[in-house]
Amino acid sequence: MDRNVILSIQDLNIKFTLRGQTLHAIRGVSLDLYDGECLAIVGESGSGKSVLVKSCMGLLDKNGFVDSGSILYDGQDLAKYTKGKEWEKIRGGQIAMVMQDPMTSLNPLKSIGWQIGESLKYHQGLTGEAAKNKVLEMLSDVGIDDPKRRYGQYPHEFSGGMRQRVAIAIAIACNPRILVCDEPTTALDVTIQAQILDLVKDLQKKYHLTTIYITHDLGVVANVADRVAVMYAGDIVEIGTCQEIFFDPKHPYTWALLSSLPQIATAGEKLYSIHGTPPNLFMPVRGDAFAPRNPYALDVDFLYRPPYFEVSPTHKAKTWLLDPRAPKIEPPAVLKEIKNLKALGGEWGEQ
Amino acid sequence: MLQYCLKRIFRACISLIIIIAVVFCLLRLMPIDSYFPNLDDMTETQLYNAKEKLGLNDPVPVQLGKFYTQLLHGDLGVSNRYRVDYPIMKILAKKAPISIKFGLLAMLISLPLGLLLGVLMSRHRNGLIDRIGTGYVVLMQAVPAAVYYLMLQIYGSSWTGLNILYNSNVPSSIILPVVSLALPSIAWYAMWLRRYMVDEENRDYIRMARAKGVPERAIGFNHVFRNAIVPLIHGIPSSLLLTISGSIYVESLYSIPGMGGLLVEVIKMQDNSMVQALVIVYAALGIIGLLLGDILMAMVDPRISLTKKEGAR
Ligand SMILES: Nc1ncnc2c1ncn2[C@@H]1O[C@H](COP(=O)(O)OP(=O)(O)OP(=O)(O)O)[C@@H](O)[C@H]1O
Ligand SMILES: [Mg+2]
Repeated sequence: MDRNVILSIQDLNIKFTLRGQTLHAIRGVSLDLYDGECLAIVGESGSGKSVLVKSCMGLLDKNGFVDSGSILYDGQDLAKYTKGKEWEKIRGGQIAMVMQDPMTSLNPLKSIGWQIGESLKYHQGLTGEAAKNKVLEMLSDVGIDDPKRRYGQYPHEFSGGMRQRVAIAIAIACNPRILVCDEPTTALDVTIQAQILDLVKDLQKKYHLTTIYITHDLGVVANVADRVAVMYAGDIVEIGTCQEIFFDPKHPYTWALLSSLPQIATAGEKLYSIHGTPPNLFMPVRGDAFAPRNPYALDVDFLYRPPYFEVSPTHKAKTWLLDPRAPKIEPPAVLKEIKNLKALGGEWGEQ
Repeated sequence: MLQYCLKRIFRACISLIIIIAVVFCLLRLMPIDSYFPNLDDMTETQLYNAKEKLGLNDPVPVQLGKFYTQLLHGDLGVSNRYRVDYPIMKILAKKAPISIKFGLLAMLISLPLGLLLGVLMSRHRNGLIDRIGTGYVVLMQAVPAAVYYLMLQIYGSSWTGLNILYNSNVPSSIILPVVSLALPSIAWYAMWLRRYMVDEENRDYIRMARAKGVPERAIGFNHVFRNAIVPLIHGIPSSLLLTISGSIYVESLYSIPGMGGLLVEVIKMQDNSMVQALVIVYAALGIIGLLLGDILMAMVDPRISLTKKEGAR
């Protein structure tokens, strides 16, 4: 894999103000994104996945702001951007995004040809006949049959899966270097999910995209990702290659996530679920945010926040269990059940 | 699209036919006196003959049938008190164009100004323009129209030297009444457009447009405004027709010989056939307003035209 860093997030803190209170949504995230890779971000709802990627495009809601830290892209610190004009160059053209719900992410009053053409106009300077030809090409690229007829149709004439294909075409038409997919398949049914996933993989190769793929579904991760970042309560608690995360996880939260995979559950036994709730981010978090829910928590977990411990050059985790002074604790036995990634991603078909 | 329009027109006709029947029957329930100013002096035979002449001795359904045929020929009947035995159509033909002229002129001013104000208010939300605009809207809504109409008439004419009454020979005398009519409409357009635009701002497709790097101005026009105007468009024909038919205050303040106060006047005079004709005309205007609204809406919103369905899976 090419090891050029394309996007580098350093010690990023993002806060929201809500009715006079401050919510600390991203708590000191550092992350390097390598050129050409596919990075998956997993973690439960509210862990800050969307906020993290939105901050890289200046798409935070109005009450959100970068409190400290930097987002380095192409020699510039995006965290310092304030004006819409500056962001317009990044959005779409450098970093493009596919959103979760294709039913609401297309403008209902504009034909899909127009909407793809809009991307071309602002990022590739194409208009008129040239743009139209390019749009037709994009449509067949994302697997829409009969592009000529589809060109003039409106979103309501498309099914959910087809709309998501259109949304992907819109993102790709901007000619971005980084494609962010924020749970692009969550709103779709399983068979369509698999198709969209394959499409993203194909396009990544064809257009040399670096992809950030946000999902709840570890089966998807096993199928698409080169590296996996596990988020909990606004922080990346563990990051490593797909192999490392699935076969040699170090953080108790990752253990818990993997244990709750339906694919490794034994028939007849209750599916594992993580007890408790994530911390309230309106309050300062003391120690390891996961400690109260962590059956393996040490005393120190409640007092001090763990730093990253490096497991391998590509693998690190924030847990005191990796400290040399910590007692040796074996990961839960069920994790041994994970034998190969193919089996995990099984329902996604062969690749 | 054509199919949709035909369907709508068909439905509008049905509603109109029903309304006419209801109005007609209700007025048959009224005491017969109002048709004959000198009822007390009439003998039984005279009354019978007079009723026969008006067709009032037939059973109601027959009368109704005759009335429909009459309407189809563009005949609304004759007035029996307002101007005895004068065709109602002719009365309206003289008065309606004046009201229509004022209504159209008022809309010509209020629509662009109202939309502009609405756009500015939503663009600078919570800013100065928004506050001033909101104040204006609240004023228009809360203060009875008669108050600011009157103020405008008195101060408007004394400060600018414009005529205090309408005079068809002095073109500038239309300014004050037209402005009066436009003021509340401007508030109406601005209020709703602002509201719809603020709603649109939070849509996913606006985020999507932003995420694909479309400049704010283009987002504002192609996405926010374009979507926000749709529900507003639906109400425009109705509000125009309302201005035309209902500007009672303004027309009486400036003594404009339009049809604004006509209905009240003929009700007071118990001119049954005039009441009947006017109620039907107003109902028709209302239905036409809704119909035009539906058709305009279908023109700007592709989701509405019910044809072309085959693409959806
Ligand atoms: N506009 C906002 N105002 C206040 N808090 C916000 C806002 N947007 C996000 N948050 C908070 O930030 C945290 C992270 O939200 P985010 O949407 O990134 O979660 P997520 O990991 O993407 O979850 P999901 O998997 O459900 O999409 C949540 O606690 C959320 O409540
Ligand atoms: Mg999210």
